[in-house]
Amino acid sequence: MDLINILTVILLLPLGSAAIIALFLRRQGKAAAALSVLVGFAIMGLSLYVLESWDGVTLHPTWEWLRFGNFAYSMGFYFDHQAALMLLVVSFVAGWIQLFSVGYMDEDEAQGRFFGGLSIFMFSILGIVLADNLVMLFVFWELVGFSSYMLIAHYYKTDFANMASKKAFIVNRVGDLGFIIGIAWCYHYYGTLDLAELAAKVAAGHALLGSKAAIGIGLLLMCGFVGKSAQFPLQVWLTDAMAGPTPVSALIHAATMVAAGIYFMARVFFLLPTFTQEWIMWSGAIMTAFAGLCALGQTDIKKSLAYSTLSHLGYMATALGLGFPGLAMFHMAMHACFKATLFLGAGSVIHACHHEQDIYKMGGLLKKMPLTGLSFAVASASIAAVPFLSGSYSKDTIITEAFLRGMNEGPQFYVIYGLILFAALCTALYMGRLFFVTFLGQPRSEHAAHAHESSWYMTVPLLVLGFLSVSAGWVVYNWDWAAGKMDWLLPMDTVSVFLDDFRKIEEAAQKEGVAHGLELVAVIVAIAGFAFTYFFYGRAKEGDPLLAKAPGFFHVLERHGWFDDLYDWYVAKVQQRLCDVMAFFDQLFIRFFCVQGSGAVAGLTGAALRRTQVGSLHAYVYWFLAGVVLFCAFATGFFN
Amino acid sequence: MIPDKYLLLPLAIAVPFITGLVLVAGGRRLPEGVARVLAWLGFVVPAAVGIYAWMTYTLPTADNLRGLQLTSNFSTGLDYFGISLRLGLNGLSLPMFVLAGIVGLAAGSYAINSTVDRKNAYLGLVLFMVSGVCGVFASMDLFYFYFFHEFALIPTFILIGWWGGPGGRAAALEMTIYLTLGAMLSLIGLIALYSASDINSFSLQDLQNMANTPTMGAKTQHHIFGLLMFGFGILVSLWPFHTWAPAGYAAAPTPAAMLHAGVLKKFGLYGLLQIAIPLLPLGLEYWSHTLAWLALGNVVIIGAVTIAQRDLKVMLGYSSVMHMGYIFLGLVCVSALGAGGAALLMFAHGLSVAALFLLGDAIFKRTGTYDMGAMGGLCQKAPVLSGFFVAATLAGIGLPGFANFWGEFSVFLALWEYRPLMMVLAATGVVISAIYGLRAVSRIFFGSPTPAFQTLFDGPIADIRAHERWPAMLLLGTLLLVGFWPSSLTRGIDAALPGAYRPSPTSATPPTATVKPAAPVQP
Repeated sequence: MDLINILTVILLLPLGSAAIIALFLRRQGKAAAALSVLVGFAIMGLSLYVLESWDGVTLHPTWEWLRFGNFAYSMGFYFDHQAALMLLVVSFVAGWIQLFSVGYMDEDEAQGRFFGGLSIFMFSILGIVLADNLVMLFVFWELVGFSSYMLIAHYYKTDFANMASKKAFIVNRVGDLGFIIGIAWCYHYYGTLDLAELAAKVAAGHALLGSKAAIGIGLLLMCGFVGKSAQFPLQVWLTDAMAGPTPVSALIHAATMVAAGIYFMARVFFLLPTFTQEWIMWSGAIMTAFAGLCALGQTDIKKSLAYSTLSHLGYMATALGLGFPGLAMFHMAMHACFKATLFLGAGSVIHACHHEQDIYKMGGLLKKMPLTGLSFAVASASIAAVPFLSGSYSKDTIITEAFLRGMNEGPQFYVIYGLILFAALCTALYMGRLFFVTFLGQPRSEHAAHAHESSWYMTVPLLVLGFLSVSAGWVVYNWDWAAGKMDWLLPMDTVSVFLDDFRKIEEAAQKEGVAHGLELVAVIVAIAGFAFTYFFYGRAKEGDPLLAKAPGFFHVLERHGWFDDLYDWYVAKVQQRLCDVMAFFDQLFIRFFCVQGSGAVAGLTGAALRRTQVGSLHAYVYWFLAGVVLFCAFATGFFN
Repeated sequence: MIPDKYLLLPLAIAVPFITGLVLVAGGRRLPEGVARVLAWLGFVVPAAVGIYAWMTYTLPTADNLRGLQLTSNFSTGLDYFGISLRLGLNGLSLPMFVLAGIVGLAAGSYAINSTVDRKNAYLGLVLFMVSGVCGVFASMDLFYFYFFHEFALIPTFILIGWWGGPGGRAAALEMTIYLTLGAMLSLIGLIALYSASDINSFSLQDLQNMANTPTMGAKTQHHIFGLLMFGFGILVSLWPFHTWAPAGYAAAPTPAAMLHAGVLKKFGLYGLLQIAIPLLPLGLEYWSHTLAWLALGNVVIIGAVTIAQRDLKVMLGYSSVMHMGYIFLGLVCVSALGAGGAALLMFAHGLSVAALFLLGDAIFKRTGTYDMGAMGGLCQKAPVLSGFFVAATLAGIGLPGFANFWGEFSVFLALWEYRPLMMVLAATGVVISAIYGLRAVSRIFFGSPTPAFQTLFDGPIADIRAHERWPAMLLLGTLLLVGFWPSSLTRGIDAALPGAYRPSPTSATPPTATVKPAAPVQP
C-alpha cells in the first residue's frame, strides 16, 4: 500500500474508534477498552511498518479543504525525518500506556468515556505530528486541548477535577490567542501558511528574520508553545492537570501533548528570530530550576512528578533557545520514555494503595511491588542522568552546550549553565526523595501495608518503557553500530535529527577539552543528590523532614511561589469585577437609561400632547388663535 | 430536471403556513392525533426541501454554482412596482434556507412533544415562523424578503407574550417596539434603494446586475447604507442596540428562541451580505469603521457582560449577541475570505445557538431553575445531556470539528488584512467565550450539587429523553458534518459571493500558495 494511504489510515483509525465508542460502546467499558487498545497497537504496528518501508524522502501530499476567493485551506502531511521520529515516539508510548490503562481503569464506571477520550487524543496528536501547514496544526492543536480537557475532567464529581479541567482549557486558549494572531500575521507577511513553503521563503531570504514583523510572528507563534508546553507564565495549568487519571497524566501531560509544543517549535524553528530564541532560553532555564525546586515541596506523588515535567520541559526549551531543536527533540523522546515510566509507576502504586497519592502514606513498597519498584528506580536514575542511561545522553548534552556557550560567547550563558545544573541537582533530590519515601522504609498506612503488585496489564508496559529509559539513549547514540544493522527501522538520516546536534556539541566539548570534566560534574551532582536524599528523606517516619526543618521554605515551594494565588486573585478581583461593572453598565446605562429612557420620553411626550386634547371648545379656540398668529408671523416674514 | 421542481420552494413556504392556519383555526376542536400529523408535515417539508436542495447543489455535477436553483416567479398583483414573488436559491441563500429547514424541524419536533396550554395555537404560530423564515431566505425579491421577515416576527411576539415565562409580556413589548423600529429603518432603506436605483424592480438579481454599473452617487449611498446598517443592526443586536435580545430570549418559549436567535435574526446579516454591501460599496466605505467598532463592542464588551451572567438563558442570549460581532466583522472586511467566513458562521451559529437553547430548556426541566448558582453535579444524573451540552458549548466557542471554527477562523484571517489591531481585539473573544462557556459547564454539570439543588438532585432525574435527544442530534450532527466537510457549503458560498467581494485585499498580495493542484481525495 501507498505510504500516504497508510498515514491517512493511521490518522483516521483513532477517530473511527472514538466515534464507535461514543455511539455504541458508551456502556460497554470493557469493549471500549479493547477497541482502544487494539487501535493503539494497530497504530504502533502501522507506524513501524511506515518507518520500515519509508525511503527517507519527504512526503508532502496536500488536499484542498475549502476555499474562499483566493484563500484555500488545505489539509496535508509533511512527513520528514522530524515527523517520522515524532510518530514513532507518540505511537509507541501511546500504545503501551493504553494497555496500562486497561488495568488501571478496571474498576472505573466510565471506561467508555475514558477510552473514547484517549482515542480522540490520539487522533489529535497524530494530526499535529503529520500536519503540513499552520492552520491544520492549529486545528489539531485545539483538538488536543479539548481531549486534555475532557480527560482531566474524568473525575468531574470532585471540585479539584472540575476546576483543573476548566483552568487547563482556558489557560491553553490564552496561548492559542497568540497563536491565532501569529498565524494571521504570518499569512499576511509571508503569503503562505505551508511549512515547506515558509521554509523555502525564509531560506531564499524573502523575509528578513530581524525585521519587526518576523520577531512579532516568532513571539506570537511561541505563545502557542508557551500554553501547550506549560512555559512561563502559563505553567499554572499543568500541575492541576494531575486531577485526571494517572495514565492521562503519563500520556498527555508528560510524554506527548506537552512535548508537542517542543515539536511545534522545532517544526517552525526557521521562523524564530534570535530574540525569540533568547526569550525561550531564559524562560526555559529559569523554569527548569524553579520547577525542579518546587517538586521538593509536594507530598502528592503525581504533583511532584508534574513539577519534574515542568522542569524537563524547561530543559527542552533551553535546548531550543540555544539553537538546537534536534537536541530538544532528542530530550523530548528520552523524556517520553522515562517520564512515562515514572507516571505509570506512580499509577501502579496509586492503584495498589486504593487511590492514595500522598507519599507519606506509602513506604516499603519495593518488597510488595518489585517490578513497579524496579522500573521506577531505573527511570529515576535515567531522569537524573546517571551515565549510560537514556536521560544522560540528552540532558548532559544540553548542560554541556550551555557551558560551551559560556566559554565562547559570554558569561550570561554561565548563568544558564548554573540554572540547569542546579535543576539537575534538584532532579536527583526529588527523584531520590520519591523513591526512598515511597518504596523503602516501613509502610505508613493500612493501604500501603496491604498493597500488592499490579496485574500484567500494568507491569508489562512498565517494564517495556522502563527498559527503554535504560537503553534508548545508548541505542540512538550507537545507531550506526554494526554498520547499519538498525537501518531496517529508521534510516540513519532520520536518527541524525537527534544525533547531528548531539555530535556537534560532543565534538566541540572534546575540542575544548571540557567533555570529561563536565561529565564528572554531572555525575557527582547526581550521586550527591541521591546520597543526600537517602540520608535526609530515607529515614523519615511521618511527614516531610524539610517541612519540619524549614516550614516557611517548604510552603513557598508547595504553593509554587504563589503563582496560582496571583492568578486566582486576578480572576476573582480584576476580571470578575470588570465583567460585573460591564454588565451593570449594560443594564443600567444602555438598557434602562438609553433605551427605556427614550421609550419613556416618547411616552411622556405622548402624555403631554394628550393633555392638549382636552375636548373644551375654549382651549381649541386659543390654540387656533395661536396658530393664526404664528401663520401671520411667518407670512409677514417676522422670522426672517 | 424534474419539470415541476419549481414548486419545491413555494411548497416549503406554503405547507407550514397552511398547516399552521389549520391548527390555529381548529384550535381545541382539532383532535390531537390530527394536529400532530399536520404539525409534523409542516416541519418536515421545509427541512426535506432544504436538504434536497443542499444535496443537488453540492454534487460535483452541479455545473453552474453561481446561478439560481429551484427558481419560480409568481405575480402577486404588484407588478407595477416591480414586485413579484421571485423565489430561488443561490450559494449564499442555500445555507440559510437549509438552516431554516433544519432548525425549524428541530424546534418543531421539540414543540410537538412539549406540554403547553392551547397547544394547537402554539404549534400553529411556530409553523408560521417556520414558513416565514423559509420565505425570507428563499426570496429573491426585496419586498418579499422584508415581507416574510415581518411575517415571521409577528408570531414571535405573540409566542413570547402568551407563552413566555415571567416577564414575558414586558419582554415581548420591549422587543416588539425595538424590532419594529429596526424593521422600519430597514424598510425605509430598502425603499430608498429601490427608488434611487431607477430600475423599477425589487428583484435582487436586477439590482445586483445594476451594481456593476454604479449609478448612485456617493451621498445617496451613504444615506441608504446608514439606514440599512442601523435598521439591520437593531434586528441583529449590534452593540449598543442589543438590549432587547437577552431579555427577549430569556422570556421566549424555547422553539421561538431557537427559531429567532438561530434563523430569523440572520435576516439583517443576510441583508448586509446580499444587498447592502454589494449594492452600496461607497456606503460601506463610509460607514465601515463605525460598523467595525460597534461590532467589536459586541465581541469584547458583550463578551465581558456574558461572563458576568448567572442566569443560563440570559447568558445564552448574550453569547449569541457576542457572536454576531464576528459576523459583522467578517462582512466589514469586504473580502471573499471575510464574507465567506461570515456566511458560514451565520449557518453554524444558527445551529449551535438553537442547540444551546434547546439543551438549556432540558436543563431547566431537570433543575427547575435557570440560575447557574443553584445547580451543580448534573452530569452524575444526566451524562448524555451533559455530553450534548458540552458539545454545543464547544461548537459555540469555535472548536475545530464543528462548522463554527471555519467561519471564525476565516473572519480572523480576513480581519488582519482589514485592520490588524481589530483582529487582535476580536481574537480575545476566543478566550472570553471559553471562559463563560466552560464556566457554565462546570457550574451546571461538574462538581457536586449546590445545597439549593440538593433536594431535587436526590429525587429522580432522568437523562436526556428522546424528544430532546433527536433535535439536538440533528443540530449537532449537521454542525459536525459541515465541520468535517465544509466544502459542501463553501463551494456554493464561494461561487455565489457577489462581485463586490472579489477584488479582495487578499488578491493584492501575491497569490497564496497553500494550494497544491493535486487533489486526489475529497472526504
